[in-house]
Amino acid sequence: MSSDLNGARPGGTTGSEALIASVPSAEPATAAGPKGMAGLAGRWWAISETLTAYSFLAPTIAFFAVFMFLPIGLGFWLSLENSSGFGVSTFVGLANYRAMIHDPIFWKTLGNTAIYTILTVPSSVLIGLAIALLLKDEFLRGRNIYRSFVYFPMVISGVATAIVGGWMFNENLGVADKFLAAVHLPTIHWQSSSFPAMMSLVVMTLWTRVGFNMVIYLAGLQNMDSSYLEAAAVDGAGPWRRFRRVTWPMLGPTTFFLVVMNVIYSFQVFDLVYVMTGGGPSNSTNMLGVYAYQQGFIENQQGYATAIGMALFVLVLAFTAIQWRVSRHRDLA
Amino acid sequence: MNQPRALSRRQFLAASGLAAGALGVAACGGSSAPKSKKSGPATVTFTTWAGAAEATAFKQIVTAFEAANKSIKVNLDIVPYAEMFQGIDAKLQAGDAPDMFRVTYTNLGIYSSKNVLLDMTPYVDSAFISQFQPAYWSAISFKGKPYGVPHQTDTTMLLYNKDMLDAAGVTSVPDTLASTWTWEEFLAVAKKVQAKLPAGHYAFMYDWAQTGAFRWLSWLFEAGGNLLNADLKTPAINSPAGLKAIEFTQSFFTEQLVPKNTSTGNATYPDSLFPAKTIAMAFAADFLLPGDIASAAKFPYAATFQPRDVTVSSDLGGNGIVGTNQSKNPEAAAEFLKFLVSRQSQQTFCEQACELPTRKDLVDATLNWTVRPDLMKMFVQQATVLTPFQVEQVTIPAFGSINTALQNQLDAAFVGGQSASTTAANISSAVSSATAASA
Repeated sequence: MSSDLNGARPGGTTGSEALIASVPSAEPATAAGPKGMAGLAGRWWAISETLTAYSFLAPTIAFFAVFMFLPIGLGFWLSLENSSGFGVSTFVGLANYRAMIHDPIFWKTLGNTAIYTILTVPSSVLIGLAIALLLKDEFLRGRNIYRSFVYFPMVISGVATAIVGGWMFNENLGVADKFLAAVHLPTIHWQSSSFPAMMSLVVMTLWTRVGFNMVIYLAGLQNMDSSYLEAAAVDGAGPWRRFRRVTWPMLGPTTFFLVVMNVIYSFQVFDLVYVMTGGGPSNSTNMLGVYAYQQGFIENQQGYATAIGMALFVLVLAFTAIQWRVSRHRDLA
Repeated sequence: MNQPRALSRRQFLAASGLAAGALGVAACGGSSAPKSKKSGPATVTFTTWAGAAEATAFKQIVTAFEAANKSIKVNLDIVPYAEMFQGIDAKLQAGDAPDMFRVTYTNLGIYSSKNVLLDMTPYVDSAFISQFQPAYWSAISFKGKPYGVPHQTDTTMLLYNKDMLDAAGVTSVPDTLASTWTWEEFLAVAKKVQAKLPAGHYAFMYDWAQTGAFRWLSWLFEAGGNLLNADLKTPAINSPAGLKAIEFTQSFFTEQLVPKNTSTGNATYPDSLFPAKTIAMAFAADFLLPGDIASAAKFPYAATFQPRDVTVSSDLGGNGIVGTNQSKNPEAAAEFLKFLVSRQSQQTFCEQACELPTRKDLVDATLNWTVRPDLMKMFVQQATVLTPFQVEQVTIPAFGSINTALQNQLDAAFVGGQSASTTAANISSAVSSATAASA
């Protein structure tokens, strides 16, 4: 993962750049050589190189076409139909999208997804960074054990995590309220009040996601050239200034990657919500992915569910594009 | 000694291409080659979800069927409930559906109305149909045609913790349908029990969580109301009876007689709170008995009937087993479906899985249920009060959407502060949209 990030760094040469650079090298031969056989050979060589490039790319192109672009295209077509997922479907044009615009639960789930994303992404990225900074020191004894503890929740199935969370935050029987009662604090209605229910999801999300963010930041930190930090220290910069002016900017591509990945994870959250809160109370923790599932597989409105899926796709795509542009400008600045 | 010759890139690509081409040709040859003609028994696939007790019962029934019908082999395909209907829907769409599958009565309408099920008309006669209680035969029928068999049912009764009721001074609990509590009597008991309970404990809860929202309709039917008019299209819930049922059930929350997290929008079920003594009474379905309730409730408990208002009522839990019209062996599938609901098979299944029969001749029979047969006999009686018209209302093709509306609107009424009149009006309009969309 970290080598990909380094490859994307400004100033680095990526594999694709090298490939592109190699193709025009045919040009001088064509231009310099006499017209006739040499020109034809040059052109033939250029075509042959292009074909070779595409033949290497073909498996990837075929894979993406079959498993990504084709399903997206078919999904868009399904979103224009009134379909229960089986039997006869009827073409309804943009009716599903019009229904979506007038559906208050769609807007509520969109708002919930945005709130959940805001509550989970910055916190999980920053906590991941903080833990990575704490555990990066190679002289720290038992650091691998600490790292394993933080990473461990990541390898547990999402459904299992959600079942554990459901029991922990059960407001009648769960340990969260039992603990609060034991220390004489007021108990919280984790399941029947909107904001606490959302917070219970956020806590379980952080528990699972911080480990991944920590590992990626650790990779970023280990790849950082320590001479910059040493130079800053020699120049009299304190720990905070060294972090703020050297470490944080140099981790820019890592942060960019993590923010994009975490936003996608948050927008696509499903198993945790479906199992832990079921979207309740009163749809206050219902998210776009869960709502699409409910529409598609419980209400058998697969055309409408796919329209919600397309909206989710466009939102994530737009966010990634914006983030990409902003990040590129920042790196170039 | 000869060194192995190094393979150049071109040679490797050429060899790979040849190999791939050869494989392609072989594959084409394979697909066009005549298939060996099938001989031996016809195989039919039956896809179902099943708890441990249900799986054992299904396997036993399949073995008995195959012994009695040597020319048919049944492939029992048990899948997790969570994946059941995504799988069935995808297979129906792909033309690769199993010959038979299990489906809840409340979801059966979406399949029977889409012309994907096996019409059982040629395989059943009036003598066969007359073996079943009319309400359950109606549950598997659409526009007068049967699309499966009514396999079993389940329903809700009120379980109570004897010690907690004794402590509250409630010593007499009805044990017959005729003497069941009225709504007012039940509410008075609940308040009396609640008064004796410490904080964080509640008088009761109802099993209407999530997709169980339809179980609330018992209150509507008890109040003399209906969800739909006789045309099964126009809503009938926005009525005095509808308002009464909503207001009465709303009062469970406003009077704090039930935990706040047991609304229709939560995922809290009675088999966790009742054994933990968080609640003194639980409206719970019979299929919960063999699981956590039997194993974890370490106190004496019993059951009583649902309270009555204008009338007594119940809810339609349970499942039908349907055939699909993609079946290559419809006769064999129909034969197995009929075997599943024969007296012996239904009795075996109900006894082992603690479920209720749909056959008339088993309603009054003595079944040897594995868990609490004394309570199961009462559940059988409770299930008999549902009328065919009430069954028709919860098995229309649009009921999936209506159930979601019930879940959302009742949740808003119970814990969201929404008035009963707005709730009735909103459910009413959701019913109209859903029935119009599925027309």
